[in-house]
Amino acid sequence: MPRLPARRLFRFPWRSAAQVAADVDEELRFHLDMAAQELIDGGWPQETARMEAERQFGDLETTRRVCRQLDVHKEKQMKWTKAFEELGQDLRFSLRQLAKSPGFTLIAILTLALGVGSTTSIFSVVNGILLRPLPFPEPERLVRVYPLSDAGEPSVFSVLNYLDWRKQSRTIEAASLLDTGSVNLTGTGDEPERLVGAWVSPEFFSVLKAPLLAGRGFAPGEDKPGASKVVVLTRKLWARRFGSDRGVVGRTVSLDGAPYTVIGVASENRWPASVDLWLPFELNERALEPKNRGAIYLSSVARLAPGVSMEAARAEARAIASRLAAQYPDNNTGYRMDMAGMQTYMVGDVRTPLLVLMGAVLFVLLIACVNVANLLLVRASSRESEVAVRTALGAGRARIVRQLLTESVALALLGGAAGAALAGWATRALVALAPQGTPRLEEVGVDSSVLLFTLGVSLGTGILFGLVPALRASRPDLSSVLKEGTRGSKGRVAVQARSVLVVVETALAVMLLAGAGLLLRSFGELVRVDPGFDPQNAVAFRLAPPSPKYEEDPQLRSLATSLMERMQKLPGVVAAGASAFGQPLDDNDFTLSFNVDGRPDAAPGQEPSMPVAAVTPGYFRALGLQLLRGRLFTEQDRNGSVQVAILTQAAARKFFPNEDPIGKKIALGWTSDGARRGGEVVGIIGDFKQSTLANDADPQLFLPFDQAPLGYLSVVIRSTVDLGTVAAAACTQVHELDADLPIFKLQTLEEIVSASVAQPRFYMLLLGGFAAVALAMAAIGMYGVIAYAVVQRRQEIGVRMALGATRDRVVRMVLRQGLVLAVIGAAAGLLGAFLASRGMRSLLYAVSASDPMTYAGVTLVLVAVAAIASYLPARRAARLEPQLALRADV
Amino acid sequence: MPKTSLDLMQGTVAVLILKALSWGAMHGYDISRSIRRRSEGVLGLEDAALYQALHRLERKGWIEAEWGLSENNRKAKFYRLSDEGRHQLQIEVTTWQRYASAVTKVLETA
Repeated sequence: MPRLPARRLFRFPWRSAAQVAADVDEELRFHLDMAAQELIDGGWPQETARMEAERQFGDLETTRRVCRQLDVHKEKQMKWTKAFEELGQDLRFSLRQLAKSPGFTLIAILTLALGVGSTTSIFSVVNGILLRPLPFPEPERLVRVYPLSDAGEPSVFSVLNYLDWRKQSRTIEAASLLDTGSVNLTGTGDEPERLVGAWVSPEFFSVLKAPLLAGRGFAPGEDKPGASKVVVLTRKLWARRFGSDRGVVGRTVSLDGAPYTVIGVASENRWPASVDLWLPFELNERALEPKNRGAIYLSSVARLAPGVSMEAARAEARAIASRLAAQYPDNNTGYRMDMAGMQTYMVGDVRTPLLVLMGAVLFVLLIACVNVANLLLVRASSRESEVAVRTALGAGRARIVRQLLTESVALALLGGAAGAALAGWATRALVALAPQGTPRLEEVGVDSSVLLFTLGVSLGTGILFGLVPALRASRPDLSSVLKEGTRGSKGRVAVQARSVLVVVETALAVMLLAGAGLLLRSFGELVRVDPGFDPQNAVAFRLAPPSPKYEEDPQLRSLATSLMERMQKLPGVVAAGASAFGQPLDDNDFTLSFNVDGRPDAAPGQEPSMPVAAVTPGYFRALGLQLLRGRLFTEQDRNGSVQVAILTQAAARKFFPNEDPIGKKIALGWTSDGARRGGEVVGIIGDFKQSTLANDADPQLFLPFDQAPLGYLSVVIRSTVDLGTVAAAACTQVHELDADLPIFKLQTLEEIVSASVAQPRFYMLLLGGFAAVALAMAAIGMYGVIAYAVVQRRQEIGVRMALGATRDRVVRMVLRQGLVLAVIGAAAGLLGAFLASRGMRSLLYAVSASDPMTYAGVTLVLVAVAAIASYLPARRAARLEPQLALRADV
Repeated sequence: MPKTSLDLMQGTVAVLILKALSWGAMHGYDISRSIRRRSEGVLGLEDAALYQALHRLERKGWIEAEWGLSENNRKAKFYRLSDEGRHQLQIEVTTWQRYASAVTKVLETA
């Protein structure tokens, strides 16, 4: 007879494997008992009835085993199904709860997204540039080797000194010298193009050990004079000019008018990053001439032999350097050498700013977490009664904790996801905005491990600050929470905890603001610096006349003369000139030693030296330099007439401290055509910034181009009409003059000035952005705490007002609470900023790291923001109707 | 039990259990006895096979189990059809009847 169970004993909760087994045993025992009873009832002897029942049952042991297995599987499956169902429920419920308070949700998600996004992108950049090893095999063995200047700065080699070091060194597996310069590519059908070439030793590709995509690297002997001319292309150039055609290996290309055979194509990983092609550095007679031991212009890169430490290699280089100093006192007095890991050397300049940024962004992440923690705490306390009601209705503690936790985790995940999206976008933006010349930029991408870490931090915040209030809320003193108007001391403790968070947040924001403020002040000082030339209404470009065609001085002279004639005819020209060296604030490192006639010769290696430039007569007026004394060059200062020279004021002051330099004869340690270059000083011009705005103006010497022609021209044109028109007309003129002469670095002088401060501007904007975010977050945090405190104190405020407190008084009371927090936070932050800003000293120009103006300004900004953040809830408190406030629920 | 009983084919046990449970919740012993009674002892369903089938069906979700008290007040595991099982029973019955009538037709013409 079918029967419904008499009553339900229990619904299966989760059972262990042992319980499952026991249940199966019990079921089977029941069956066997019943069957045995049936047999007994039918007259079977009692003693053997049980055995007979088991016999009739069949294979009891197999059944027992099969049933147990089936049930265990079933149990597991149900457990998972149930867990997912509940998780789904919790998630749906959480999302509903979050959607119910969109303000809270949005702020929390945005806060986390900003924290996660900015941290990940900055970390990715730092990782790509500073931390990730160079993309070559065993990069730790790659070193840069260099002589040291008198000032102890890394300097450059002469050919002979490099070769002597290479010959004597035993700690080096392979080494290459390196000279970079421009080379004009012509005859591939397209426009002539000015490329960056690197002249290297045949060993170069065994130093880096980077595999080639096609063809081969240089072979020994290809640096000997008379060897066939060969070139290795970078992958970039190969793709751009040769359509990634593998057949290019073996073809001939025209470089500076000479035929070169392409022997290989390098892979993506190249060094130096700016080059387009590599050529063998020819060790010709001129390079090996003993008197050229003093001509320094070569860098070097080397791979340490296996098992050799950098210390050992450095000690050896020092020993070789002192031998070279003793051996060649004419050129090598006080010769010193040093080396640095290639990566360290490469990122030296950006290391400090990147570390500062990383610190800043960590603060932002920290503030974001503090803020979210704060928001979660506020939210949890405002939901205490909801939780109490649910507990009273029978919800289990674990379930409530899990529910609240799911909510914070969902929030953290949403924020994290938004942050990850932001990180991808921000990293690309950073790479695009970073100033040119930032090393290794092409290697930067969103770093997955960093992203995981920051997501973990955001999740951790969600869990920690979701769990604490969840645990507390799940065991509230039911009666006290449900009872209207009663608050325990717990509320006050929570307010204090939140106040501490706000103070921390404020302090971090102050530190960031102070850092950004210092950079801002420094940048302001920097752009106010008078460059000494007039950057307005002038355009500049460069030409690199290829060597065979413009090898000889007469060829260069006639090129400069016809070029200047054509430039004079451009629309609206005020002045046009050319210099054999770089533009101001761009680069000029042609430094020569000199003697003044009538002074005793200085000891070898001790001669005074200064940067020298050869310029056409119009150059000074084109740049807008000031003539202080004497005269400028004229068209009469030609080859063959009296050699003349012009000094900058700094040069006059430094080298002629107590005498009039005009009329003095300067002889340079530079000879050509058998004559010593130099001349009689005829004029002194005002100083201008040649290297950077931040550095003092260097002393400089000018010679007339016609008396000292060199194969390189930087042209400046000052005009009264639109510079775009002028530039286009200038290009046409140059093209007419020589169609194989590419124009490069065409830009206005204003652009040059602006590019020279691109790096500090970039760091200032970044740090400023972070500081703004931090300030906004601190303001939100403070607003949250004060607003919550006002809600908590509603009754008290109501009582005060009922007893006669004016609205002003209430506003003041609430404001005071906010300002006390702000002042404590600001004080802590200023102290922190004072300590931390030492790390950014090298980034500052004309501003002290403890600049009182900046600190005062930052404090003012912060107090103002804090006042606004607390005024809003204060005003709300003052508007309370005392009767309503007294009657209101808590 | 007479030796003439037929050995049950694979899959048939399931349909018999589902059918038995369609009358209401039962424990294993009741299912065993009611199938024997209704087939008048012709179908030799071994209890070992019955219990294995019960647990298999439970795993599949066609039947649900619950502990309850038997008529003699002992704790016993009661099975009942789930909605899915009820649906499955209809399918199985239709399939079985079509199969049986096809076989019958073939046997009768022979």
